[in-house]
Amino acid sequence: MRLRPCICFCWFACVVLVGLASPSWSAGQETSSNQSYRVPRTPDGQPDLQGFWSNQTFTPLERPEGVTSAFYTEEELAAREGRVAVRESAQTEPGTIPDVHYDFTQFGLDRSQAARAQNLRTALIVDPPDGRLPPVNASGRRQAEIREAEQALLGGRWDSAEANQLDDRCIMMRGVGPPMLNSGYNANYHIVQGPGQVMILSEMIHDARVIPLEGHSNPPDSFNQWIGLSRGRWDGETLVVETTNFNGKNPLQGSGQRMRVTERFTRVADDVIRYQFTVDDPGTWDQPWSAEMPMQKTRGPLFEFACHEGNYGLYNTLVGARLEEQQAAEASLQPK
Amino acid sequence: MRTRVFLINFVTASVMATAAAFAQTGDYLAPRAPDGNPDLNGIWQTIGSAHWDVEPHSAGPSVVRELGALSAVPGGLGVVGGGAIPYRPEALAQRNENRTNRLERDPAIKCYLPGVPRGMYMPFPVQIIQSQEHIMILHEFAGAVRTVYMEDQVDAPADSWMGWSNGHWDGETLVIDTTGFNGQTWFDRSGNFHSDQLHVVERITPRSPETLSYEVTIEDPGIFTRPWTMSMPLYRRVDENVRVLEFRCVEFVEDLIYGHLRKQPDGENR
Amino acid sequence: MRTKIACVFIGFGVLLMVTPVSTHHAFSAEFDIDKPLNLTGKLVKWEMINPHSWFHIDIEGDDGTTVTWQIEGGSPNELIRNGVTKNSLDIGIELTIEGYYAKDGTPKGVGRNFLLADGERLFLGGSAPPAVPAAR
Repeated sequence: MRLRPCICFCWFACVVLVGLASPSWSAGQETSSNQSYRVPRTPDGQPDLQGFWSNQTFTPLERPEGVTSAFYTEEELAAREGRVAVRESAQTEPGTIPDVHYDFTQFGLDRSQAARAQNLRTALIVDPPDGRLPPVNASGRRQAEIREAEQALLGGRWDSAEANQLDDRCIMMRGVGPPMLNSGYNANYHIVQGPGQVMILSEMIHDARVIPLEGHSNPPDSFNQWIGLSRGRWDGETLVVETTNFNGKNPLQGSGQRMRVTERFTRVADDVIRYQFTVDDPGTWDQPWSAEMPMQKTRGPLFEFACHEGNYGLYNTLVGARLEEQQAAEASLQPK
Repeated sequence: MRTRVFLINFVTASVMATAAAFAQTGDYLAPRAPDGNPDLNGIWQTIGSAHWDVEPHSAGPSVVRELGALSAVPGGLGVVGGGAIPYRPEALAQRNENRTNRLERDPAIKCYLPGVPRGMYMPFPVQIIQSQEHIMILHEFAGAVRTVYMEDQVDAPADSWMGWSNGHWDGETLVIDTTGFNGQTWFDRSGNFHSDQLHVVERITPRSPETLSYEVTIEDPGIFTRPWTMSMPLYRRVDENVRVLEFRCVEFVEDLIYGHLRKQPDGENR
Repeated sequence: MRTKIACVFIGFGVLLMVTPVSTHHAFSAEFDIDKPLNLTGKLVKWEMINPHSWFHIDIEGDDGTTVTWQIEGGSPNELIRNGVTKNSLDIGIELTIEGYYAKDGTPKGVGRNFLLADGERLFLGGSAPPAVPAAR
């Protein structure tokens, strides 16, 4: 069957206005409008968070320089996101690094084509009130030095598979967390609730967090995982998830093994979950910090993201790097 | 008199109806999950040596000399109905070649997703989370995930390692129909394999509070002369605080897969 | 079951950098910024895999021999949500690839643009949003 395209022409102005979801709740307008919303229940009486959700966003983690208020007006947000869209959508120049890549928009992977909840906040961080991370303490600086030294031992980025980033190695991506930050694209989650268990599956890399709701005591300090160990409970309509026992190998803004993450999931509208989180890591910061981002209902499926299995890119890059070195070595041996 | 006849008939009919329900599952009728269906929620694991070889096999030596008895193969009476997998002759030759070269060829050694049904009988726990619309099967091994679509069912949009699963209830049995495989997984560590035309039907039935019966029908006409079956129990993990843990094995195999591409200090590369 | 793509959107040919810069650096280590390619051939297979899909394309060389090239594209997951399946692209359709050659010396490249025979962009063409709001 031949692909049958139809062609629709749209203007840039539409990108921002129409590209946004039309959610029934908006971060920044969290007053009486959502208090009338009654969260549906699962058959066993849990507040129902089930479905497919996207946390794609234009909102940065920290408040941009020069911005002082916690919220944009709708007009300011539209203008700002429009400028970001224009800047990011400029045609890449041949021969530049951004041009050496498939085009995200051709595969629908750009942010404008993703389900996004409107977020009037100027930053995801809500505490400290200036919307910026607290300063890293002495222990955190020491931690960073150790990490840099360890990374330096691995040599250049293309010297080995292990010297690469966690996403290039297909070990994990930042959408799983916790906390769950938007992963750049495919920023999607599938939530399924069973009796006493909540599963949050993040699309990349088919990472299923299972959060037990009862009967799990504090795990031993000597046991840790990349995503830590999570335990949950219902606080009214809000799912509260505590996670500890991180292995520290996937730092969040420099965090370490003592990090404790508390997440709160509240369905504030049929199509929006309010996702809040607090990071408490005395080994890195002297005060906890908190952020929030809305999750917008989207559609499935979350097709199998078998990353490691299909990771030809890493293999090809290492082959290419070794070939370049070999060619350079041979060239240097040529008589002048 | 008429009332007595009515009552006798009523009681008889009730007993027969209940017996019919029991007869499907033996003596056991599982509690209902919140969705009203038999409750499969829990953490389950098989016991035995099917993950080594699904066919009957004697105990045998390890392919990794240094691990000695610890990676030698335990014996098994087989989980395949009728004993042997009905391979076509050329496919049997392929299986034997796989077996001879299994250290190089077994995809699970490289932490690739285990496929279906192999993931169900690996020596790692499997968690079932059951809702009306989706039943999730979550594997500890490589964090493999299967989504069983119970509603709004479609064909596989593309091929994958764990296939595309559509499910429905047949009385007390969950029937899972899976296609859309990429043909790159094995059935066990002994080279038993299939193509991308694999079609798997699983039947999962509670048989006691702590066990499920797990029956599988395999079809792949280009590889096998006829459909064939596997059967084994799944045992509930009853340890206190049991949970599926991380087995994020990619970092355990990077040296195996990419080690030969590592930059050598003297600039000489293999 | 066949599915059809509803629309191919063409806006301003816009491109959005959505992944961290590190991913672009990884691509520019895998593919050669100094060796742009422009190839036309027939589709043998579209491997709808992650983290990036691969188009296998038969390209006839100047010497008349045909070589199957592998061209890297994007994750198919959002396209699948848009109704694209393994049956969406006919085997044998003509594709033109604009991109860059791989550094590993094999017939391989990355596709900056994939174009159909009539010059239309394959799949989606711009950041213009779908006809329905993004809240799906």
